[in-house]
Amino acid sequence: MFSYIVRRVLYVIPILFGVTLITFVLFNLVGGNPVYQRLGKHGSEAEVKILSHELGLDLPLHQQYVFYLKQCLTFNFGRSWSTNQRIFEMLQNGIGASLSLAIPGFAAGIILSILISLALSFFRNTFVDRAMVVFCLAGISISMLVYIICFQYFLSYKLGIFPISGYETSIDGRWQYLILPMIIWVIVSLGSDVLLYRTIVLDEVFQDYVRTARAKGLTEKVVLLKHVLKNAMIPIITNIALEIPFLYTGSLLLEAFFGIPGLGGMTVQALNNSDFPVIKAMTYIGSIVYVFSNLISDIAYAVVDPRIKLE
Amino acid sequence: MISRSNIFIALAVWVTLLQGCTRKDDPQFANYINEPVKSQVRGLDPTISASDLYTGLVMGQIYEGLMQYAYLERPVKVEPLLSDGMPEISKGNLVYKFKIRKGIFFHDDPSFKATNGKGRELEAADFIYSWKRLADPAYHSDGFWIFDGKVKGITKWREDAIKIGKADYSKPIEGLSAPDKYTLVITLAKPFPQLLYVLTMTGAWALPHEAIENYGGEFQNHPVGTGPYKFRSWVRNSKIILDRNPNYHDDHYPTKGEPEDMNRGLLTDAGKKLPLNDGVIFWELVEDQPRWLNFRKGETDWVEIPKDSFDSAVKKDELIDEIKKQGVELQKWTEPDLTFDALNMEDPILGKNKYLRQAMMMARDSAAVIQKFYNGRAIIAQGPIPPEIAGYNPNFKNPLKVFNLVKAKELLKKAGYPDGKGLPEFVYDTYGGTTSRQLGEFFQHEMAQLGIKIKIHDNTWPEFMDKQKKRKSQMFGMAWSADYPDAENFLQLFYGPNGSPGPNASNYNNPEFNKLYEQTAVMQDGPARNAIYQKMVDIVAEDCPYIFDAHRKTYTLNNGWFKNFKRNLINLGYIKYYRIDQQAKKELKPKL
Repeated sequence: MFSYIVRRVLYVIPILFGVTLITFVLFNLVGGNPVYQRLGKHGSEAEVKILSHELGLDLPLHQQYVFYLKQCLTFNFGRSWSTNQRIFEMLQNGIGASLSLAIPGFAAGIILSILISLALSFFRNTFVDRAMVVFCLAGISISMLVYIICFQYFLSYKLGIFPISGYETSIDGRWQYLILPMIIWVIVSLGSDVLLYRTIVLDEVFQDYVRTARAKGLTEKVVLLKHVLKNAMIPIITNIALEIPFLYTGSLLLEAFFGIPGLGGMTVQALNNSDFPVIKAMTYIGSIVYVFSNLISDIAYAVVDPRIKLE
Repeated sequence: MISRSNIFIALAVWVTLLQGCTRKDDPQFANYINEPVKSQVRGLDPTISASDLYTGLVMGQIYEGLMQYAYLERPVKVEPLLSDGMPEISKGNLVYKFKIRKGIFFHDDPSFKATNGKGRELEAADFIYSWKRLADPAYHSDGFWIFDGKVKGITKWREDAIKIGKADYSKPIEGLSAPDKYTLVITLAKPFPQLLYVLTMTGAWALPHEAIENYGGEFQNHPVGTGPYKFRSWVRNSKIILDRNPNYHDDHYPTKGEPEDMNRGLLTDAGKKLPLNDGVIFWELVEDQPRWLNFRKGETDWVEIPKDSFDSAVKKDELIDEIKKQGVELQKWTEPDLTFDALNMEDPILGKNKYLRQAMMMARDSAAVIQKFYNGRAIIAQGPIPPEIAGYNPNFKNPLKVFNLVKAKELLKKAGYPDGKGLPEFVYDTYGGTTSRQLGEFFQHEMAQLGIKIKIHDNTWPEFMDKQKKRKSQMFGMAWSADYPDAENFLQLFYGPNGSPGPNASNYNNPEFNKLYEQTAVMQDGPARNAIYQKMVDIVAEDCPYIFDAHRKTYTLNNGWFKNFKRNLINLGYIKYYRIDQQAKKELKPKL
């Protein structure tokens, strides 16, 4: 397994190289000129030249790219061109907010989806199963924006159950603001996850080993939780691993509407402001998270299913 | 099995927990103003964020300049703030001598090591230092234009700094001197009638060199000024808390205002020492719905009514009874701004054919635009100068600013393109966001009635800026808000040398207009200057480099407990005047 992990880590290098290249090319094609953003409405030609020089935007493209690679290697992306904050600090401040929303929402979503899927396999082809499938399809079809607007209006404004928006840096002050966005996160993720996991579980419940387990006289609870769930875990882990990297950027809509100062909103602001250092940092670190979460999922396969050998 | 009683207990616990989720009023903030901000706030460094309006609204409570706008008087006028009285102005209007008020102190901060963290007294030299910093090329300030070419020697000082690669703060600027601790002399390169206006602006505020040296690049997170509020904390993209400055200098609520101010209760606090509250919390609420709902719940003290909530709050131009009963007040403000569609005068077809541009102007139904996009909250712009700005002529009627398709078609025929035949398809650039695109589509629809084909190109904001600044865009919609209350601020949009990347977005260049602009640039406010301003307006109205649309109005709602609210977007230091009526808040907030 060790040599497998080393090999996979080495594969990361060309992937990251590709990501940096694509980001760089895209920014230079459609990213606009950050100098105009910075100088505002009264910027002159001379000032445009000076600032372009200072930001290194007048250098040949290959030199700009080499500079970018150096930043990637040292993880030093400097300061934001838009807010002048240190990018390391921006990430440090934003990641806490994004993860405080994303991790509980994501974890609750997974647990609930799996439990509902197992329950639906128990009630398969009954009214409960069909009603839930319809409910999930409806859930997928409705945009997250609709949930946000409706829940914020009715639950926060009309009923006053939750605060409308806000955020505190202290952990104990923060939770009150995160519950409603977390509920929305869970509801939005439930639809697609339940449908997928239900199919995966149903594929398993008709297998011979399940029939054998039932023939041994095991209860349905033991059959589902001990046997079916374990065998259904590989595709479930794959799905979870694919979703993990997106936790890092949080949810732009939830963050914007609930005033959560996370990385999602920060990235969109960076795109709107042609703030290339922030865009570079976010894409580079995002791709690292993506690649490593894939690696972790591969390792998790071997742990969950002893038949899989990582070579 | 789970029993029914267990389910009931679980539900009860859940509901109790949820009740704990609602935001409780923190008594320490009872007398704080809750101010909504509808955009991201950038760094709180006046040199770097000089042109950012929303950042300026926050910084305006921490920092101060020599002058400020009188809070209640209209048309707006400047009055001294850190200056001890109005300046002494030389004959020829070239030398301005300011006496700095004695006993003004910067906020206490660890940067003041010599005084063990006690704020140091403000000196005339602080202004010279702050303005050198504004001119220092290392900061790339977007606010340097206020002194560029106007204060004698400042442009040269900056150019020298560029040449040697570093600004030398010990090197004097010819036009700035401090003969003693409390005297500041500004010598101008040429008369600059707007000087007192620009001295109210962000870039002209006094900054302490100790804090800048101490915090370096982090000064933006540790602002230190002389203003009525001290910085406490900032959760980026969420909220900023400022506390009352206990050492704030002698500053009082105005005793003069407009005639109706007395009836509106705006003079109740006349003569009282400022600030009238204990602090301010700026809530960064970028999305319309949370900003609106937070106001309706009483979490913020006032709000601009968002477009989508307008019909639920205002009917027949009046606040609906249900909201009125909650003590909420509706106020209407004309903004010193202009919305327009710019036509690139460097375009070989648009730029060379006046009749074509005039036809487009007459085919533009600005009344419909105002109804559709601003809920009727705007007036049609006859020219570039908005109301309440020195030089505005309320009697001016632009002969082309009349929606008339028949005449527009005649003009198009005169232009050589009857029914649009022979014209290529033009590209109208919009920038991300539904409203910008819808405005573009409406323009497209109007021009189609003339036979002019328009293609909409939706850009991201950076792409849009890039095209416009590089003069690549054929036509696009934009808005301009006043930096100061003088028509010059709007007429500069047509001055040839200000072409892109400067503020002249249509790259209009008319020698006759340029000559008049240069002539008025050194003239003081008065009938003679206004007469020339009118000539300039006539020229651009005839030439149509812009299709003028509207001067917008803002409808605001404020809670009944929120007192002394009088909007003026160019007056940045306004929160010190606000007062919370605690008794009214106790009675009214539960009704929301």
